[in-house]
Amino acid sequence: MPRKDKRQSQSNSLLRKALDLVARYALMVLVVLLLFGLILLISGKDPIQSYKDIFSATLGSSYGFSEVIVAMTPILITALAVALPSRTGLINVGGEGQLYMGACLATWGAITFGSLPAWVLLPLMLLLGTLGGALWAFIPGYLKSLGLVNETITTLLLNSVAPKIVAFFVFGFWHSPMDTNKTPNFSSAARLPTFFNSRIDLSFFFALALLAAFWYVMKYSRWGLEMRAIGGNPQAAKRNGIPLNRYWVIIMCIGGVIAGLAGMAQVSGYYGVLLVNFSRGLGFMGFLVSWLSFGDPLGILVTSFVVSIIVTGGNLLQLTSGIPYAVINILLAFTLFVVLARPVFFKRKEA
Amino acid sequence: MSLLAILGVISSAIFSGTSLLYTTLGETIHQRSGIVNLGLEGIMLISASAGFGITVMTGSPYLGVLVATITGGLVNMILGFLVVTRRANQLASGLALMFFGFGLSALIGKPFVGAKINALPRISLPGISNLPILYASLFEFDILIYLVIPMAFLIWWLLFRTRWGLGLRAVGENADTAFASGRNPFLIRYQALFLGGMLAGLGAAHLSIAYTMNWSEYMTAGRGFIAVALVIFSKWHPLRAIVGALLFSGAVAFQLLLQSSGVQVSPFLLDTIPYILTLLVLMAWGGTRRHAAPASLGRVYQGGQQ
Amino acid sequence: MKIKIYPIIVILVVTALLLAACQPAAPAVEEPTVEEPTVEEPAVEEPATEEPAAEEPTVEEPAEEGPCLIIGALHGGPITDAGYNQAMHENIMQIKENIPCVEIIEAENVPEEAGATSTMENMIQQGAGMIIATAFNHQYPALALAEQHPDVIFEHAGGWEMSANFANFFGEPPDTWYIMGVAAGLMTESNKLGFVAAFPLGWTNTFINAYALGAQSVNPDVEIIVAYTFGWGDSAKEADATNSLINQGVDVITMHVDSPSTVLSTAESRGAYSIGFQSLAAQDFAPEYWISGIGFTLGDKLTWLASTVIDGSWEPIFLRCGIADGCMEMGPFGPNVPQDVQDQVLQARADVEAGNVVVFTGPILDQEGNVVVAEGEVLSDDLMSAVDWFVQGVTGSPK
Repeated sequence: MPRKDKRQSQSNSLLRKALDLVARYALMVLVVLLLFGLILLISGKDPIQSYKDIFSATLGSSYGFSEVIVAMTPILITALAVALPSRTGLINVGGEGQLYMGACLATWGAITFGSLPAWVLLPLMLLLGTLGGALWAFIPGYLKSLGLVNETITTLLLNSVAPKIVAFFVFGFWHSPMDTNKTPNFSSAARLPTFFNSRIDLSFFFALALLAAFWYVMKYSRWGLEMRAIGGNPQAAKRNGIPLNRYWVIIMCIGGVIAGLAGMAQVSGYYGVLLVNFSRGLGFMGFLVSWLSFGDPLGILVTSFVVSIIVTGGNLLQLTSGIPYAVINILLAFTLFVVLARPVFFKRKEA
Repeated sequence: MSLLAILGVISSAIFSGTSLLYTTLGETIHQRSGIVNLGLEGIMLISASAGFGITVMTGSPYLGVLVATITGGLVNMILGFLVVTRRANQLASGLALMFFGFGLSALIGKPFVGAKINALPRISLPGISNLPILYASLFEFDILIYLVIPMAFLIWWLLFRTRWGLGLRAVGENADTAFASGRNPFLIRYQALFLGGMLAGLGAAHLSIAYTMNWSEYMTAGRGFIAVALVIFSKWHPLRAIVGALLFSGAVAFQLLLQSSGVQVSPFLLDTIPYILTLLVLMAWGGTRRHAAPASLGRVYQGGQQ
Repeated sequence: MKIKIYPIIVILVVTALLLAACQPAAPAVEEPTVEEPTVEEPAVEEPATEEPAAEEPTVEEPAEEGPCLIIGALHGGPITDAGYNQAMHENIMQIKENIPCVEIIEAENVPEEAGATSTMENMIQQGAGMIIATAFNHQYPALALAEQHPDVIFEHAGGWEMSANFANFFGEPPDTWYIMGVAAGLMTESNKLGFVAAFPLGWTNTFINAYALGAQSVNPDVEIIVAYTFGWGDSAKEADATNSLINQGVDVITMHVDSPSTVLSTAESRGAYSIGFQSLAAQDFAPEYWISGIGFTLGDKLTWLASTVIDGSWEPIFLRCGIADGCMEMGPFGPNVPQDVQDQVLQARADVEAGNVVVFTGPILDQEGNVVVAEGEVLSDDLMSAVDWFVQGVTGSPK
């Protein structure tokens, strides 16, 4: 094929791919809005007004938009914690637990060293947070490398253990009589700085940096190549001399590091205190986002953005339509169902 | 520690363990057919809210239990559609179902928060009602509790002594082989999900209609995930699940007893013991012996001929 | 072929969504949206005609000026829980009954800590001039928002922080708990009283201590056993805790959790007496064995606070108001409470109201025998939320 034609058809196919992606998402949005609108109608609420409210609460004001970013950041990070291991074929459902352990260790730092200045304390908490997450991911990774237990099961089990360990520390060591199920508030040195006169904190930039790093590593670096090789065909990779077991442990630990970072960001940036059971499924949400985008960095960005819009919009809906906040989960679930069901008019390529 | 206190722990374990056991039996069926159902939490919540609502509206707890049971089976069909027909990833589909449950149960249950119901009546066996009321009331069980152990045996019989059960386990081991020998893995998995969903609904009904007599958002508090762990702990066997359920729920009651006896053990650490035990059990027979897990657990069956 | 249709659909859909989003979004935020739009809408859409004036004369003023005050109220749980949230909800609704031009925006099940910030911010954007945060863990997000919105008044229930536009209010449960303790001490036959508590919180410890002191004043041998559920509304744990206490020989149960319904129903099913807390609606759950109960009746006080916000005279006050001022109320006695017990309890109430009995008067010893309130001293209100000890006779850990 002559060079000029090849380049033209390549850019054509790139345009088609982009349009396809956008079209897919737009159609998905339409189906979801129709389904959820039906639910609203049945409950006697006005769907059009509700959707207007969701938009005005999220994209219609700068405050709303900042809140979407705030909600998106932890989901983006936990999604990466799942996406990286997934490239090697590892299924890390343990983001929830790794997040908690990261938050736990970071809190220990905040409480023990609270009087240190921020430029020392924050990096220390960051280190502790990533250490906590790595530790929690090491166990399933190690067990898998020994050939003992499937990492899906171990990460799931450890998810349930982590919040209880956090509660143990909160009530056992960090509790003051004036507090209920939380630690005392963190000192201002222990808080991640915020930007744009909003609640967007430093972790948002971490998230973007991690996303970019993930994209670069997977696409251009040698490790990325090796990881994809392992993910594609483990036996062949092993025969080619790639030390599978070591990779699995290291990759799981890196996943834990990322999730632990998310945990640290939650307690240091968002909350400023360690609240028992503070995560209502953040780790699972990350798993879903990563899975729905097949671990693709752009897909992760868009999906976590869409999910955050839904989650943030629900806040206003409660005030204006009397719909309990929890009901927004239905909208979320429909979005997930539609993507999982891969409706016929989408031609999806397997990752 | 008096006799009453010890009997009390056993009684509490039975009361709060019943809903767990029903759900675990349901998940056992799912996993035996090769499906990991992480959406149990959502199914239980929807069934609990629906059953509770019906009980409030009609005044009949039996009707509420019936509705909860059927609801559980129906909701699980969503998972069936996603996982069996559309061949989506099981974990993701289950989690999506969980979020669905959070939302739908809140919507269904909203009008009924704080309502008082006629709970499932508690029945005393002949000998027991002669005891002083404190002891007698420990063992006045409602009908769902009386039925749970027979149900475990029924499920055991179903899985291990019937042709259908054999087919189900075959699908769980290797769906392609099962298909080759004339079974329909799609249909069997749907059936497993319906039956398992009904059992989860039954467990949820017991929680809201019989035990707490109450509905509130997120009230299942992780029982769906505990059930998944329990299935593994009991090595996918319905009868061992009885022991597991009693153990898990007994730990909670035991911890309360320690608390009020002035013993200072952290209730949270005690709560982790069942999970750590499960992990240890898994490690123990993981590498050395043949896996007792259904071989194709979690794998998506692509289907033979279309 | 399929690909060619996509761009058109995409453009159509995106355009439609943008139109829907951009156009009415602005008005939706500017108008204070309320829970009964049917009242507001005709007035807004037809301001020029006189028909609304003829149909609904009482709406005429708000149609021109809007409500005199918009109050945003946050609850940590559901407002129909027959417990704390319901009591707070009913009290807040009384503001509107007393001052009809007030509009109230309510949010239930609002998450704790930072999760509550966006709800409050949304309320402020809807025009709220006063925020009432009723859940304990809404204190710090409200305080942070108070700094950013100096023109909005924030009132928090049960906290201790104060700032230029942030104050707190609460009833005085300890007095009423003392009275309930008297009732329990008289009704118990096993001399064991049970207390189901959510957390080892300073307030909870104070309630338990007051209850114990009341019970011990009429029955010195009584023991109070505490069981924690570690949740404000975990009904399964509440059922477990109640059963566990009864199995230890307890025959009177009371609680400090959000909703008393599960504890009461469970106690009722085991034939144990019960005393309710938070809301007077709780008696329905224990028709036979109910002794009495305590409810928050802060409606009038909250009305007064709202009126000071409206006329501009609001000042940050550490507001505590007890049974003598009508902010706490005792529930009616249950069917099995004998007359002489009722008389004694009412006498105790009269003593407390008159000031003859001040609950936390020294000397008070803790479980280990240390003096925590010295002879001749009284535990002050602001220290009550920081109590980390139990009086003698209480079994359990206050930390």
